[in-house]
Amino acid sequence: MIENLTVTPAPHIGKAISTRRLMTDVVISLVPAVAAAGYYFRAPALILIATCVISAMATEWICNRFRQKPVSAGDFSAVVTGIILALSLPPNLPIWTAVIGSVFAIAIGKMVFGGLGANIFNPAMIGRAFLTACFGMLMTTWAVPATINAAMPKISQDTSPDAITQATPLAWSKQAVKTKSGAEMVNQQLRACFTGERGGCLGETSAIALLVGGVFLLARGTINFIIPAGVLLSAAVFAALGYLINPQSYVSPLLHLTSGGILLCAFFIATDPVTAPLTTTGRWIFGIGVGSMIMLIRMVGEYPEGVMYAVLLMNALTPLIDRFCRLIPTGGRPNV
Amino acid sequence: MEIFTKINNSFRGGVHPAENKHLTDERSIEAGPMAKEVAIMLSQHTGAVCQPLVKKGDVVKAGQKIGDNDAFISAPVHSSINGKVKDITLQSHTVLGRSLALVIEADPVDNPLKEPSFAKFGADFDAEAFAGEKIRNAVRDAGIVGMGGAGFPTRVKIEPNPTMPERTLIINGCECEPYITCDYRVMLEWTYQVIAGVKLARRASECSQVIIAIEDNKPQAIETIQTALKNCRSGADIKVVTVKTKYPQGSERQLINAVLKKIVPTGSIPPKIGVVVLNVATTAAIAEAVVCNQPLTHRVVTVTGEGIAKPGNFYVPIGTQVGELIEFCGGATAAAAKVILGGPMMGIAIADMSTPVTKTTGAITILTKEQLQHSRIAGSETPCIRCGRCLETCPENLMPTKIAHAVKYNLLDLAKDYFMSACTECGCCSYVCPANIELTGLIKTGKILVARQAKRMPQ
Repeated sequence: MIENLTVTPAPHIGKAISTRRLMTDVVISLVPAVAAAGYYFRAPALILIATCVISAMATEWICNRFRQKPVSAGDFSAVVTGIILALSLPPNLPIWTAVIGSVFAIAIGKMVFGGLGANIFNPAMIGRAFLTACFGMLMTTWAVPATINAAMPKISQDTSPDAITQATPLAWSKQAVKTKSGAEMVNQQLRACFTGERGGCLGETSAIALLVGGVFLLARGTINFIIPAGVLLSAAVFAALGYLINPQSYVSPLLHLTSGGILLCAFFIATDPVTAPLTTTGRWIFGIGVGSMIMLIRMVGEYPEGVMYAVLLMNALTPLIDRFCRLIPTGGRPNV
Repeated sequence: MEIFTKINNSFRGGVHPAENKHLTDERSIEAGPMAKEVAIMLSQHTGAVCQPLVKKGDVVKAGQKIGDNDAFISAPVHSSINGKVKDITLQSHTVLGRSLALVIEADPVDNPLKEPSFAKFGADFDAEAFAGEKIRNAVRDAGIVGMGGAGFPTRVKIEPNPTMPERTLIINGCECEPYITCDYRVMLEWTYQVIAGVKLARRASECSQVIIAIEDNKPQAIETIQTALKNCRSGADIKVVTVKTKYPQGSERQLINAVLKKIVPTGSIPPKIGVVVLNVATTAAIAEAVVCNQPLTHRVVTVTGEGIAKPGNFYVPIGTQVGELIEFCGGATAAAAKVILGGPMMGIAIADMSTPVTKTTGAITILTKEQLQHSRIAGSETPCIRCGRCLETCPENLMPTKIAHAVKYNLLDLAKDYFMSACTECGCCSYVCPANIELTGLIKTGKILVARQAKRMPQ
């Protein structure tokens, strides 16, 4: 006689894959970007990242206790939110501001909806939006990378050698849009955008680090290629259109794709499965929507960068996209 | 004429679990245990449940019809041994929960072990000697049902569909479930019997094209059947097609899609589009029924898994208790944690070791604690993160997470809006789910709830 038999519905075997593994993959893929942030902005950057991660995890733990739910910190999703939020903050942001952002991101962005899987908006972007609304000045002051090459022409008007802040390439490109001149000068910053030797948010400065992480996620099968492809292709098309129309006021597509948060968005933010559509068609719509919206804000809108608003707006549309993109069975609709 | 066409055909979605067929694929079919008692289920097929034709205390012979139903979609059942009807009682049934079964106590003296019939078939078999109507009647009388798992009465399937002029017969030798090797061994050892059955099925169903589909992980079976076809009279117009090794390749809707690029409409069955799909074990049973006049009373069962002492393939009387078979194989090991009737993807976990083997039981798989820990444990589920993996793997292009969650919150109408009825319960969605959600289990529950609702409300 066999003792203690388990009886569950089929199937009885499964793929060795779990939410925790997916989240761990995302954390690993963010390591190059975190390293780049540490390299260019030194200790303050790492302290900021650690602060965000710890306060995000603590908030999740407290919320779970409050809701009398099992502790869900084991799935590492709060770690991912913390890192992504930190990477989207300016390097010299005061620590207490980062704590407020993380608490808001987890508590209001995620836990009030019911925790992992139930939130409508990307928690990290909610946290960032809250900080932007509350501390507008702090959120748009950009530190010069510690390793900046003094011989390189500064793209900001402030050319004094002891400058501690500078405009980002995108701020400069916005200036070009407004004055209809100077875009070519910004284009010369392409190399700095690739390596990360320029002003900007913590994690968005180094395109190479972000690409390495993105390729890792794609290779591991953790994320699907559709959303990154949708974001980057649509943004490239928009940027190319502008560049073709007037290269004096619009910077080149390559500069657009490597500057600002677009790579971080394409591989790590827009691909958050919880807040993106389920179906293939829906994901294309979502990706293209995010990419076009970013470029609209950058090229036409008032802000130099639009990743956060683009993601939040498309998050809001996700339930609607899912509703319109319902799958029809292979065998067609049943005749009922 | 080209007999062998390499079509690495496949279908959309699906998964590729570890095959684990090495446990039993080298083991030839052996005689099973001499049953002291068998329980013949009155429902071993899709369709109307049989009525018992014998009473308690009656003496029955092996092969005697003991249950039948006049309905078209039904199949009679036969005693698999000589003995006496001990009882007519409820037994654990994998689909219906509990169902009536005839318990037959074996005659201790006169009970010879039934020999398989494969020796009676050779390359010179001529199906032309049998009329289509005769074959169809023999199939019905022998109680043959789809032995791959669904148990749809074969007589109904092989009725020629006059509205479809071009009919195709696909012989399903895919055996895509991990662990199971019963069909593989039947193809290797009973080759000529299978081919005889194929020819008879072709005559009965009046199909113009015949394709034997085998997954590319069974090169030996492909070769054996090809060689046998070359030796056969009129074997040249039977094509062997290799299909990609992928689960659920052996599901007929997916197989038809992979081989013929045809789509069976949702809620319809293959004969409606002029395709008949028969499992290799079923064709072997057809040959036995038509030529040797023997009903379906025995089948090959693979007893396998890491939790069994001596795995193997056995020719056993239908009605044999699972516990008896496990004992026959040296018993379960101490680590055994789950007994599954069928394979690990679609099989049903049982706790009652007196559950009998039915016409559709291809395997008994015993998994260990260790294997369960590495796969899916009930209760370890986390919230759905909408990753969409279930949508990507669903061979029927459904949205499993949407259906399952609708069922979970008792929104049956919403589940129907997401085409719950089109689900074939293959289990791919649960297999890939990173959150460990019982998607297939929930969808099955939803279907049962809908069926109950329909019965409660008369039209």
